[in-house]
Amino acid sequence: MKFKAFLTDNGINLLEKRILPALDKTGKICHLYLTPDHAFFLHNLLNSDGPQSIAQFQVPSLFHDYRISSQNDDVIAFSIDLSLLHRALRSILTVNSHSNPIQIKLVKKLPPQSTQPTPFLTFEAKGHKSAVVHDVPVSKPLSRADVRELQLALDSAQQMPETLVKAPELNLLQNFVDRMKHVGDVIRVSISKYGDLHLQISTTLITLGAEFRKLVVLGERADGADGGDQGLSAQSRTERAVQRGDAMSVQVSVKHFFKCLQSSLAKPDCAFYGIAPQGACLIVIFQFFVPGTRQTDKSISLHCRLPVLDSGSS
Amino acid sequence: MLCVDMWWCPMECACRIEGIWMDAVVELSEHGIVIIVEDTSCLQAKVYLQRELFLKYDYGAQGRPRFGVSLGLFVDCLNTFSAPGRSNILELRSVDSPDACIYAEIRTRIPETISWDYNFEPAGSTPLSFTVKSAALKEAIDDLEWPGSSIQIKLQPVPPSVIFRGEGHGDLQIDFNYYANTDLLIAFSCDRQVSHRYKYKFLRATTSNIPSSVIRDNRGSKLTIGRGGMLKVQHLVSVAKPSVPHPHVESAGYQPPSRIAYIEFFVKPEEVEDDTVNDS
Repeated sequence: MKFKAFLTDNGINLLEKRILPALDKTGKICHLYLTPDHAFFLHNLLNSDGPQSIAQFQVPSLFHDYRISSQNDDVIAFSIDLSLLHRALRSILTVNSHSNPIQIKLVKKLPPQSTQPTPFLTFEAKGHKSAVVHDVPVSKPLSRADVRELQLALDSAQQMPETLVKAPELNLLQNFVDRMKHVGDVIRVSISKYGDLHLQISTTLITLGAEFRKLVVLGERADGADGGDQGLSAQSRTERAVQRGDAMSVQVSVKHFFKCLQSSLAKPDCAFYGIAPQGACLIVIFQFFVPGTRQTDKSISLHCRLPVLDSGSS
Repeated sequence: MLCVDMWWCPMECACRIEGIWMDAVVELSEHGIVIIVEDTSCLQAKVYLQRELFLKYDYGAQGRPRFGVSLGLFVDCLNTFSAPGRSNILELRSVDSPDACIYAEIRTRIPETISWDYNFEPAGSTPLSFTVKSAALKEAIDDLEWPGSSIQIKLQPVPPSVIFRGEGHGDLQIDFNYYANTDLLIAFSCDRQVSHRYKYKFLRATTSNIPSSVIRDNRGSKLTIGRGGMLKVQHLVSVAKPSVPHPHVESAGYQPPSRIAYIEFFVKPEEVEDDTVNDS
């Protein structure tokens, strides 16, 4: 089992400034899954509770001189502490003032006061006179069965909702949910084919909600049907859309939802919300543009899947 | 319609006693909204939000409807509306475009019966009152924390002065002399000596959360002793934000007629002193 590669400048920047801070908010520990073509950071894919987050990178967007080999079809997966990884990366960038290339590799080392060699992900910047090395402890590589399970979970996580609406400004939404989260623990998210996104927290004492209408719709859409709904309240409009089968509605944990919104630390260019078929989960897809263009950067993808607390009135 | 920030200052002051949000009774009338909070039957705080504070105030009810509400929830809810960088006008429609709205419905509670009558009556023909710079009042009450427990407030006509005295672990006396400190003690009215004791905890509640703007403006807080030694503390809270022009008022230069909210506290005296002796 071998893995080594050099981080590209773009990759360093992307990981250090954007991806790692965002993923760290979702959860400290994640799986790093490396295949010959892709690198994935995966949260909560093997244990189903908790919000899942899937960050996928094509190898060239992070690495060059990428070498990977294993007896399991040349894929390697292990779990890693993101805050340690982030710290190690930041630290090596501070020390590495001569911009020597940074190599990343998987090694087995004997930690002090131990007789058992343990695996580390090592960052190494080698110059003419000095070398800086940082070891980040990682878990034992996942077994063949576990990797298979991870791959299956990843495959099923690719299932897309029929309707996606483009989220209003991310910061606005994040601020809003940040304030809303004091009021209750469960948030109802409703998405209609007309392009409406309706968020609502309801407890015995309070109903607090926000409705965003006429958002950009991807996938299945419906129009014209909301003509008679203009004068209605957000709540009854959503109810009617759900009854007509033009909207879906699920309940998720406010905490999960807020965590997912914090992915905006990765500075995505836009985000889409959708509900998986049968209301299986709430899906938030973050999109990145090729710098300086309005074209989607297909080499990076980040999306979250939030477990549904109650099937809702889908 | 109301600027959300306006609610916050007066409510924070009056309604967070000992750092805990209380349940409140809200009374609506043609003059505005009064929020009333009570603590252990000894302290009552009232916030007056006059109708002039509102951009639009529709009142069509008969009588004065009252309802109970959990203030913590109310404030959390109002906070949701005042997302930074957005217009902080509490409207139920249109946050930043006709296609977005934030709404809230808070279930009201049955107001609990007010346990004692706070009808404040003057103690005699001449009011027993003094007005002191708010910052000085707060400082004095903060200092009296050290002796703690019970604080005596004494007003005497000759020489005209107000004395705060605390006895506990030690004793501490703070004198406000009218002639010596005319800039501290702004007004003074007293025709006979009067003295009452109040629980420190309740006295502190009257100043501990006053908004920084009250201290900054330092207008003065008025303290009046009424019949039976009931103490009334009044603060004026400026809720104007002159630096931020009102985004929803079209006519330039328009200022709503009133930008002041009133806060009143009523504190019952301790029942150890013989009022007839002191009031005579």
